[in-house]
Amino acid sequence: MSTADALRVVTLTAQAEMALVRRDAVAAALLSQAARAADGMPAGPLLAEAAAMVRGEPGREAIRQAALSLCRMALQDAQAELL
Amino acid sequence: MSGRLLGQHVAVLRSAGADVDALARIEEWARRSVVVPEGTEVVDAHVHLGVDRDGHALSASDLIADMDANGIHRAVVFPADEPGPSGDFRESNGRVLEAAEGHPDRFIPFCRVDPSVGAAAAIDEARAGGARGLKLHPVAQRFAPEGEECVAVMRLATDLGWPVLVHAGFGARPLGPAFAGLLEQVPDARLILAHGGRGDHRALAALAAAYPDVLFDTSIAALPDLATLPPERVVFGSDRPYGDHAQALHLVGSAARVAGWDTTAMHGVMGANLLRLLGEGAS
Repeated sequence: MSTADALRVVTLTAQAEMALVRRDAVAAALLSQAARAADGMPAGPLLAEAAAMVRGEPGREAIRQAALSLCRMALQDAQAELL
Repeated sequence: MSGRLLGQHVAVLRSAGADVDALARIEEWARRSVVVPEGTEVVDAHVHLGVDRDGHALSASDLIADMDANGIHRAVVFPADEPGPSGDFRESNGRVLEAAEGHPDRFIPFCRVDPSVGAAAAIDEARAGGARGLKLHPVAQRFAPEGEECVAVMRLATDLGWPVLVHAGFGARPLGPAFAGLLEQVPDARLILAHGGRGDHRALAALAAAYPDVLFDTSIAALPDLATLPPERVVFGSDRPYGDHAQALHLVGSAARVAGWDTTAMHGVMGANLLRLLGEGAS
């Protein structure tokens, strides 16, 4: 993974995390973008699952919290590539 | 499959269309990402019991189930943001102490107070009921860490030998000068700064270097913050029910790999550092 690839995933995933925290509807789009950017990386499956869940049931609190957990783990994986 | 995944009830996740098998695989992978040294007593430094004003909730029985599933032996527990009609947290502290009495080998009870609402009496009552530390939330209870009322509460806790876990992160107000002001007045405070001081980490880490009893918990912290701290200043925490154990374990595992923490460091992070602050184990 290149530094640019990791940085792209970190940026999109951090934005998605805050959107989930703020219950902002843009979270679904940001997670989908992050999942595409992370395709083939360790964070990819986490973000893909989070994006699918939030697209399906954006208003369910349990879904939001589970997606937030996945998003944070993905962020940690992408950040670890840069450290 | 039953129980919980990522802190949420499986039945709820399934009814919302989540792929629970995929989530179970991810959760197991996250748990395995942290290597706990043999003989380590794993202690979660940061758990809220009860029902927060914002709807987050966790019962003692659900917490025990989560701890068992995630290899966590003990947890520091304190109330969520439920100050009660009097605003002094005495009712929610009572419920936490009752839960701890029912699980003395699993729960380490802290009390929560609002420094401006009957704090001394609430602490005294909680101490008599078995509390071993204090939780403060300057944002939720709207007080300044370096203010007169908080300093008084901190002195009281320090005189009792109590650690004080303080919410430290995510805010607009800069925390470096605030905690510098607090520590100037109570230099021997045993502080646990929650969330790794996320958002003010550089200032807080620089400040903490001069105070050996100031530690940082890992709950919902940022990886770059944790990975640059001396591991003897780090204590594992989850912030259940706002965070979950799988994510919390994954974060510590990631920090250990990035920072190169060895077995001794991980033994401390996962429990021994906190137990030392509590007066248990080696000094």
